[in-house]
Amino acid sequence: MKTTVIGAFPKISDDQGGQELRRALHRFDRGEIDASALDQVFDTVTRSAIAELEGAGIDVINDAQIRWDDLFAQFARSWEGVSRGPLERFYDNNTYFRQPVIERAISTGGRTLVRDFEFARTAAKTQLKAAVCGPLSFATLTAEDRAYKSLEERTFAVADALAAEIRGLGAAGATLVDVEDPAVAARPDLIALARAAYERLAKAGVPLAIQPYFFPADKVIEALATFPVAQVGIDLCSRDTKALSALGVLRTRTVVLGVVDARNTRLETEAEVATIIEAAAKVVGADRVWAAPTAGLEYLPHDVASRKLAVLVKGARAAMGVPA
Amino acid sequence: MTSEILLTTTVGSFGKPEYLQKARNQFGRGKLSREELTKLERQATEEWIRRQEEVGLDILVDGEMYRGDMVAYFADLLEGYREGGLVRSYGNRYYHKPIIAGRIRRPKPMTVEWFEYAQSLTDKPVKGMLTGPYTMLDWSFNEAYRTRRDAALALAEVIRQEAEDLERAGAKYIQIDEPAIHARPEEIDIAIEAMGIVTQHLKAKTISHICYGDFAAIYPQVLKLPVDQLDLAMSNYQYRWLELFDRDPFTKELAIGIVDVHKHELESVDEAAEGIRKGLKYVRADRLYPHPDCGLKTRTVEETVDKCRVVVEAAKKVRAELAKVPA
Repeated sequence: MKTTVIGAFPKISDDQGGQELRRALHRFDRGEIDASALDQVFDTVTRSAIAELEGAGIDVINDAQIRWDDLFAQFARSWEGVSRGPLERFYDNNTYFRQPVIERAISTGGRTLVRDFEFARTAAKTQLKAAVCGPLSFATLTAEDRAYKSLEERTFAVADALAAEIRGLGAAGATLVDVEDPAVAARPDLIALARAAYERLAKAGVPLAIQPYFFPADKVIEALATFPVAQVGIDLCSRDTKALSALGVLRTRTVVLGVVDARNTRLETEAEVATIIEAAAKVVGADRVWAAPTAGLEYLPHDVASRKLAVLVKGARAAMGVPA
Repeated sequence: MTSEILLTTTVGSFGKPEYLQKARNQFGRGKLSREELTKLERQATEEWIRRQEEVGLDILVDGEMYRGDMVAYFADLLEGYREGGLVRSYGNRYYHKPIIAGRIRRPKPMTVEWFEYAQSLTDKPVKGMLTGPYTMLDWSFNEAYRTRRDAALALAEVIRQEAEDLERAGAKYIQIDEPAIHARPEEIDIAIEAMGIVTQHLKAKTISHICYGDFAAIYPQVLKLPVDQLDLAMSNYQYRWLELFDRDPFTKELAIGIVDVHKHELESVDEAAEGIRKGLKYVRADRLYPHPDCGLKTRTVEETVDKCRVVVEAAKKVRAELAKVPA
């Protein structure tokens, strides 16, 4: 059983020393520093976030997505045929993203995230996973599409572009890639389309972890068991859900349990976390359970995110019977 | 007659002048007193009242010079809340997301003095401006109440007290914003129940602003929200929400957003007028209120004035067209 994180980690903290990136971005906007100076700050903050995740005892980390403005920004900036459109609220968060606009057929060299992944590998001492956005979320949240005739065509085009990115990450050494796709749980009516898109992602030949956070997985959990992925993320505590009792259908996958709420400051107890993990382990086997926050911890202030990491690790160790 | 139709207004916030931004920073660092800051907030409020009058808007707002954020402002003044740490809203923008940490209580009125001051500066009506209970809940962390409904209803009670105080102070229009109402469409009944508590005794015209989100997901249920007028961002959405009204007729007054507040470019009067004409297909002119899509606090003073002027000129243009049509 391992602990892991999903998505972005807070980019700044409330104390003055933790605001380096915020200040650098302001200075960049005012023309006081150039892109390479800003890049150095991104790298410094990434290194610091990785150190914090490792210091907290997380077994499998990501690069904390310090450069990501939103789930789609990296791809919409890099892919040909796509631009960044109007601001919109990101699902039920008071957080905004720029909706992708598809101007013509999407193409990518598949190296959008390679540099950042390679940098993170130099900074990380523990196992590092990569992440991409989900094809269904990208396709359903697109503001305007002038290239594809239907949602299905668009979803498959996005999936093919993401498969190229995953292939690129695999070539750079990634052995596991999170696919962050809230739409898969939010839109149960599109589950067949989502599955077909994941068949395309799987062709990249890198183990995938689908992360359909924010929404209860109850309506899609059976279908998720048929997705060509190594891991399935299940948010067990940010909303009412009966998914825990349905985990049996995922016996052939590793289940990434969302056991600390990444969207509320109320701190879970070690016992609460351990209880959920133990219950899940009984159903799918301890070796198939990973424990994680329900989503990216960036929805919380930095100090609370740090405390959530600590309780996640303590709760997981308690569930495994390892002394804290 | 025609001046009583297509009354123009704005959603609520305007940009803070540079001197006030500096003063707020100084106050935050303890280098300026509350009295000195309030003096500058009043100065900026008066400037915005004068600008709105000069532009020719019909229903004014105080511009919210004394607020940083539409939720945090109230959270700071309510018992039961504590300030949360910084959370990113977008890009390099952060805000202190408040935490509901105990039982919510309103020790004293929160906006009434500002309303009275703004209203004293003009003969035109000034709207009382509040944040709705569902949005207060959704944009706060909740550590104290067992369910989201419990928290929303507790917030509704204190917002009701504030709304009734505004009415007693003379507010003819009270706007209770619910931009988060579509955050979880399955919770629309909670938002409706909470708003019912707020508006139950009010005789003033009640308005609720809704923006940025999937309005279609809560339509037509949102027509049960107990307010007289819904205030909707439309221009930013290319007026697509109007198509919903073909299937289920819109039954309230409509404040219609006809200029986009999140782009620097200025719409033409013709473009904005076309937005009003689109709205007129669904709502009578005496029930249609043209305005910018959302609060204008992210725009410069010049951009704001220009956008408001386009709204006013567009309304004049369409009023003139309507005046020519034989009854």
